[in-house]
Amino acid sequence: MPHVADTGLCENNFFTPQLTGSKMNKNLKFLIVDDFLTMRRIVKNLLKDLGFNNVEEAEDGAIAWEKLQGGNFDIVISDWNMPNMDGLTLLQKIRADANLSKTPVLMVTAEAQKKNIIAAAQAGASGYVVKPFSAAILEEKLNKIFEKMGG
Amino acid sequence: MQTDAKDNDFELFAAGQDPLLARVAYLTRLLRSNMRELGLDKAVEQAAYVIPDARERLRYVVRMTEQAATQVLSAIEQAQPLQSAVNEQSAALQNLLEGAEGQGMDPLLRKQIEQYLDLTRNHAATTSGLLSEIMMAQSFQDLTGQVIAKMLALIDELENGLIMVLLENIPEQKREDLSGYLNGPQVNPKANAEAVTNQDQVDDLLSSLGL
Repeated sequence: MPHVADTGLCENNFFTPQLTGSKMNKNLKFLIVDDFLTMRRIVKNLLKDLGFNNVEEAEDGAIAWEKLQGGNFDIVISDWNMPNMDGLTLLQKIRADANLSKTPVLMVTAEAQKKNIIAAAQAGASGYVVKPFSAAILEEKLNKIFEKMGG
Repeated sequence: MQTDAKDNDFELFAAGQDPLLARVAYLTRLLRSNMRELGLDKAVEQAAYVIPDARERLRYVVRMTEQAATQVLSAIEQAQPLQSAVNEQSAALQNLLEGAEGQGMDPLLRKQIEQYLDLTRNHAATTSGLLSEIMMAQSFQDLTGQVIAKMLALIDELENGLIMVLLENIPEQKREDLSGYLNGPQVNPKANAEAVTNQDQVDDLLSSLGL
């Protein structure tokens, strides 16, 4: 799949953790968090198209939180509206955790109100993609995260 | 409209009570008697009856769309590698053909093979892109599913409300039947004709049953 050039149109002020050294390789480990199987599969396939095969899934924030403990995940892609623990709570817990606080979290959600986006940004989201989204948008947001990780 | 809750009822009711509470209680009684007169209590009963069916239908939509989306995704996951293989093998064959330059192959045939390999590579790439589009379109299942989940929650609330209305409109005698067996300690047994007030009454009842 071709690399989508950064147009600079989607500049955002989200907090993005800085990782030292270039970890931007195809072995990056992803955690996809979404209560809908369909969406988890779509994101998983998109990552596969981008060459990333080290992917695990979680059905809600609570399961994701468990998997994150010692799971050595490099990037979390999370939905917002989920049972047991929602995506915002998961994000807040990640940012408050000494071991996980630097892990990039990309929100991929149908919550499209300004207050949602503001709350996610304030909680330290690394990016925010509104559903339904295109493959190009997800790739673009991931590339932004990779840039920050590499730099 | 004729009602059995008259204005003087309200005045009686309101005596010595919080005016707001009295007003709400009065309006509730008015609503109830009007509902009975207009036969609305039956309509409410009917509505409460069809709700489980409505819920089942919505769950069916969620189930069927998820099944369809899963089927589509499985087909795409199988088709994508096939397209990649066509693309890669065409490219490999093109390389072989270039390496065999000037080894006595008919130039016209060679040209035709090259054109065909170009075509298969282009078509494989286009098909792959179209498969991705079909895959992305399956996200409808997540979005519609979320909307339906919210509607199911709304229906639950509506049903609870309707059940309350029904309970309040059922005559006292019938209402007792609805309480089931788990009613625990009687806080005011003398007010309830169906409750016993002491062990003697229990024994009397048992002996009347031949025990």
